[in-house]
Amino acid sequence: MEKELRERARELLESGEVGVVIGYGWNRRKRRTTPVFIRKPEEAERLVFNPLCVNNLSVYLTRKYPDIQKLGRAAIVAKGCDIKNIVVLMAEGQLKRDDVYIIGVRCNGVVYRQELWQGELRPEIMPVKCHNCDVREPHVADTVVGEPVLFTPPEEPVGMVFDKIREIDAMSPEERWQFWMDHFSRCIKCYACRQVCSLCYCERCITEKNMPQWIETSAHPRGNLAWNLIRAMHLAGRCTFCGECERACPVNIPLNIINQKLVLVVKDAFEHRSGYDPDTHPPLIVYDTEDKEDFIK
Amino acid sequence: MEDKKTEEGWEPKIMAFVCNWCTYAGADLAGTSRMHYSPNVRIVKLPCTGRIDPLFVIKAFENGADGVLVSGCHPGDCHYTSGNYHARRRWIVFKSLMDFVGIHPGRLHFSWVSASEAIKWVDLIDRITEEIKKLGPFMEYRGLKK
Amino acid sequence: MPRIGVFVCQCGNNIESTVDTRKVAEEMKDLPGVVFTCSYKFMCSSPGQEMLKEMIKKHDLDGVVVSACSPHMHEATFRKACEKAGLNPYRCEITNIREQCSWVHPDKTKKTGTLKSMDLTRMTIERLKRNRPLKTISMSVTRRALVIGGGIAGIQAALDMAEGGIEVILVEKEPSIGGNMARLSETFPTMDCSQCILTPKMVEAELNENIKLYTYSEVEKVDGYIGNFTVTIRKKARYVKEELCTGCGECWEKCPYKAESEFEMELKERKVIYTPFPQSVPNIPVIDAPDCVMIQKGKCGVCAKVCGPKAIDFEQKDEFIEEKIGAIVVATGYELMPNERFGEYGYGKIKDVISGLQFERLASSSGPTGGRIVRPSDGKEPETVVFIQCVGSRDEKKGVAYCSKVCCMYTAKHTMLYKHKVHHGQAYVFYMDIRSGGKRYEEFVRRAIEHDGAMYLRGRVSRVYEKDGKVIVQGADTLSGTQVEIEADMVVLATAMVPRGSAVELAQRLGIGYDKYGFYNEYHPKLRPVETVNAGIYLAGTCIGPMDIPDSVSMGSAAASKVLSLFAKEKLAREPIVAHVDTPVCNACWDCLTACPYKAIEKEGIRDREGNIVRWHAKVNEGVCQGCGVCVAACRSKCIDLAGYRDEEVFAAINAF
Repeated sequence: MEKELRERARELLESGEVGVVIGYGWNRRKRRTTPVFIRKPEEAERLVFNPLCVNNLSVYLTRKYPDIQKLGRAAIVAKGCDIKNIVVLMAEGQLKRDDVYIIGVRCNGVVYRQELWQGELRPEIMPVKCHNCDVREPHVADTVVGEPVLFTPPEEPVGMVFDKIREIDAMSPEERWQFWMDHFSRCIKCYACRQVCSLCYCERCITEKNMPQWIETSAHPRGNLAWNLIRAMHLAGRCTFCGECERACPVNIPLNIINQKLVLVVKDAFEHRSGYDPDTHPPLIVYDTEDKEDFIK
Repeated sequence: MEDKKTEEGWEPKIMAFVCNWCTYAGADLAGTSRMHYSPNVRIVKLPCTGRIDPLFVIKAFENGADGVLVSGCHPGDCHYTSGNYHARRRWIVFKSLMDFVGIHPGRLHFSWVSASEAIKWVDLIDRITEEIKKLGPFMEYRGLKK
Repeated sequence: MPRIGVFVCQCGNNIESTVDTRKVAEEMKDLPGVVFTCSYKFMCSSPGQEMLKEMIKKHDLDGVVVSACSPHMHEATFRKACEKAGLNPYRCEITNIREQCSWVHPDKTKKTGTLKSMDLTRMTIERLKRNRPLKTISMSVTRRALVIGGGIAGIQAALDMAEGGIEVILVEKEPSIGGNMARLSETFPTMDCSQCILTPKMVEAELNENIKLYTYSEVEKVDGYIGNFTVTIRKKARYVKEELCTGCGECWEKCPYKAESEFEMELKERKVIYTPFPQSVPNIPVIDAPDCVMIQKGKCGVCAKVCGPKAIDFEQKDEFIEEKIGAIVVATGYELMPNERFGEYGYGKIKDVISGLQFERLASSSGPTGGRIVRPSDGKEPETVVFIQCVGSRDEKKGVAYCSKVCCMYTAKHTMLYKHKVHHGQAYVFYMDIRSGGKRYEEFVRRAIEHDGAMYLRGRVSRVYEKDGKVIVQGADTLSGTQVEIEADMVVLATAMVPRGSAVELAQRLGIGYDKYGFYNEYHPKLRPVETVNAGIYLAGTCIGPMDIPDSVSMGSAAASKVLSLFAKEKLAREPIVAHVDTPVCNACWDCLTACPYKAIEKEGIRDREGNIVRWHAKVNEGVCQGCGVCVAACRSKCIDLAGYRDEEVFAAINAF
């Protein structure tokens, strides 16, 4: 597979079709993979793909990285889950289909903790998103590399995140409040969740707006709550549950739970699943006259 | 916290974000018709419910609101044709989110009140004031360190 | 530091009885930025306004808060007073302490009302500190109007506007203006012939120097906003050079091929080169390209050979014309619901089951039979005719929920026309209710029943079928509680009026609202019946809903008067409550553009020196924006804000809570 991947990347660079290939390479000790930006055909050898390739590289296609945009048209090595984000970027006018060459990689799942990786992929070491993945065969791509994957996701999504959502739903408001305040109070406002997210591409994040200052920037529980609520709201209907925010969070706030909760709400209320169709508007900027309103008195 | 709830003379503070054309006019009609209702609500008038940002609600709680009401024109009646439909979508998600983080549903209310529904407005304010009185001051939010 | 004045109104005793206005004024004095406060008996009175103006000057106020009645009452009054005193009117904000305080909180100790009034006034003061002076937006106006649809409503609107001295462009989809009214025989309740009253108006429209007629044309695209629209009109290929054609009729006399006549509703054939009816305006034929052997196969060309002025042009192409206009009147009219939907009535299967409009053609002296009422199947005079009302109307399951309003009247008219032409004939009418509200309408129906002997049966028809050359109608007469079976010679269905099939598409192009059926929404169904939410676009006639000729004509005139009053002003002024984009931080995600109910947001590209677009951002068209603020809430980076309701102002009010 890697041979195929490198071959494709080399061709793209040689022909001048793209100016840069965004992909994964080994770090120095070959323990982790790291984003690489290949600009010369001969460097295509550096590209790798394996279950340690967890990063969602689509973030490098956004306006957050003007330096990368200057390198010319980009090709990107993307798993199905990463492609979902690219699709949202297209739906939101951030990318045109032709602006990017997607090298879709067939994926059997990834491993977040490299110390658990011993050359064999076992379900226990894969994150929740992989267990429910319906895009192991990349759904939007210019070329697809790798062996075909035979996997059918379970009908009802499974995994800890979903168990936890059910658990929280069953709690009293006081218990929920306690649960989240325990987590949010740890937030140090480092905004790693925002930096790693390819859908948090704003030129100016709302936290940086100071006339008026909507969100208090210092790290204290009140401002932390406002930030986390608004972060979740701003991703509602757009988040693809790629899990990068939670992975990046240095204080382990379970952002996947809150994100997935809203994914479920949006799916249930608007029958919208983010990241599948570049021509569908994000659900919160459109409406249906028949939207449910049992809570509006 | 417990004694604050039972403190004599405590009155809930309720902030209402309403649209100019329906609910604001409905509230005016309640006055013109000399109806009476609980004095706990403070109205912030906006052109349309579509203008109402979830941040307004968060800010209201941060500023000590014990409850928040958001109200506008009935579906199909929006002065701007579809502002309330946009608002409704936003509320569906926002309400689920607020529920999920443990804001008691009794503290955040949504309603449609038309320019002719003075009675509905009066009943609504009395009802939510009662409900919030039972819940007591929103010490959880107010107590968040800053 | 701002210099704010706070004026608390007692409103006689209306506020004062439950609010201690002096105390409110006293308390506000200590707020930073407040330099003057007072309590006054009647702020809205002339002395009150004078005092306001005087204090603005005396204390050099740069902002005013009036705590009084609802802003819906006197906001304009106080803003005007401020303006006269040299203050920007938008630097005056109102606190509602009457409708939303003193009147609803009857605490005679004044404790409740005073407390709430202080809170509300404080919120307004803080809001005022953050607000900005605004300038009324003034826009130029193109004094030309477009009328879409050349039926009676559109013709009336065009004529009235042209009379008023403005240039009008009248676009009609069909080869001739006239609309559905041209099809009618006589009109209720006066029984004057439809064409006799319509054709003079059609000719007037053609001859009026201020009216530019585009027939066989459609509106392709609409850009711009009130006072400044640009429309693209598709002038469909007629294959006849209009400037040369004299309308002599030689071509359609000689044309060897025939097709169904749309105008005659399949009751007659027409030639392939044709005008829809003899009084067509303009009297210039069109070639029906799909049926023309010359255009399809390159053989024939008879019309070109016989045409004296050489007006036939088989090579003609659709033309696109751009016109600049300031206002639009939409008068696209109605069509009938397809009768095929109602299988139980046999329409389409039984030749002698026809629609109301087909009956109009049969009764019309210029119609396919020259006004003789005969059966389409064998040309015989029908001796028994059954009229079925509410076909599709008031039938939520198979048709539409609404009442088509005109059918009761025209059915009564049909029975009379029939009786006048077939003296020994008998008309039966199956009806649900007779709705004959209107001047001389009820008398008209009574005449049909009492004088012309129409048999009215209250009940529904369950089945219509053919037997031995007769049309058998089975139904219920609910008044006598019996089942009825009538051996009829002909059945006429009063089918529901529905909007044009293309109505929704046009509404979306124009950015106006429509209901679930496709009828256009008025700005306000009672008080602004010919306006739409999109300023500068007006409505007339049956595109709004079923109505009769007098109503359509009235609405045409009403729309015209709206346009004339719009054009009477040198410049258009409008409230400056519009959105603005802070362009450098715009993400160009176009959420605002998608969410905007008015299509008021555009994409704007920034170019480098070579002319390449280097980045995009959203731009608000001030003329179109109505100030709802949907875009502001939709914008994640908060780069859009709404003048008059800016985030900062709302934020300040919440903070003062």
